[in-house]
Amino acid sequence: MMSYYIHFTDPNSTEMEDFLNGIPTCPGTCFFIDINKSTDLKYIGGLPDWGRKLNNTFNFISLLNDFPDNIVKGIGDEIMLFIPDEKLRQKKTISTYYQLLEEIYSTVYNIMTFPVNDMFLPCKVSIHYCTEVYNVTFFKGANDYYGRDIDLTARLMTKALQNRIILSEKFYIKVQNDLVNLGYPEDYGCLASVSGKFMETFRGVPESTEYRILDA
Amino acid sequence: MEITEKKLDNCTIVGINGRLDTTNYSVLEKKLLELIDSGNTRLLVNLSKMDYVSSSGLRILLMALKRITLAKGKFILCSLQENIKEIFEISGFTNIFEIYPSEEEGLKKF
Repeated sequence: MMSYYIHFTDPNSTEMEDFLNGIPTCPGTCFFIDINKSTDLKYIGGLPDWGRKLNNTFNFISLLNDFPDNIVKGIGDEIMLFIPDEKLRQKKTISTYYQLLEEIYSTVYNIMTFPVNDMFLPCKVSIHYCTEVYNVTFFKGANDYYGRDIDLTARLMTKALQNRIILSEKFYIKVQNDLVNLGYPEDYGCLASVSGKFMETFRGVPESTEYRILDA
Repeated sequence: MEITEKKLDNCTIVGINGRLDTTNYSVLEKKLLELIDSGNTRLLVNLSKMDYVSSSGLRILLMALKRITLAKGKFILCSLQENIKEIFEISGFTNIFEIYPSEEEGLKKF
């Protein structure tokens, strides 16, 4: 799907207002994946060391390979991945929220326990199920997603630590629904390690947000 | 996914047929743990019929390798399909697993 391109030269255009009002929401799952401590590494080993480990780590994050067209942006060593529901349903290999969670958990776990040192960099992740999100761009030809829920996913990252996944309650409920549909118990797989519910009021977000923690 | 098991004098051969992913990794996990916990710490896993592996599948193989290494056993993989070999190379798994092109060559290492 291509983004809705927003570009009007008249700042008071009623046409722009009509256009914006007509843009539909694009529900889906947003991931922020941050490579931990890679900034420090730039000052220690320089590009060869930092570049090699970042390359290895990005290759290792299977979701990035499974959804290459859904990497919305990378800012340095932080990546935003947005998987619209429509796209997830079409996928044969990974088609449920549960599978998304299990895959990212396994990736973080594999990096953490990999028996060879110095090959990968540890990650931290935040995941949120977004409903207030729009597939729009202000730059011709670019694909991007904006909305309150994208901002919230970024805010959730403030609770993440190395080898930790922060999942919003909205995403957790989606995962639990999948488990019911698949006939699995509610603590199946990595769900057994998910914490109880926490609540936080994040900067810029008027209402409190419920989230859970999953440590690899 | 289907799992086969064949016991030889000096090792056990486990075959994985089909896809190893989030929907079935726990079946393989249970099988490998059963084998390892009952003293079968010389395992040859034949992947000739495994056509897809996800991160959760890789996690189980990594877990089995660690357990068997701790038990001073031997864990060997063999007969990887080309696409699987590529995943193993990209993810650095070829550096940590003993991998052989055929079951016969793998068996010689026990």
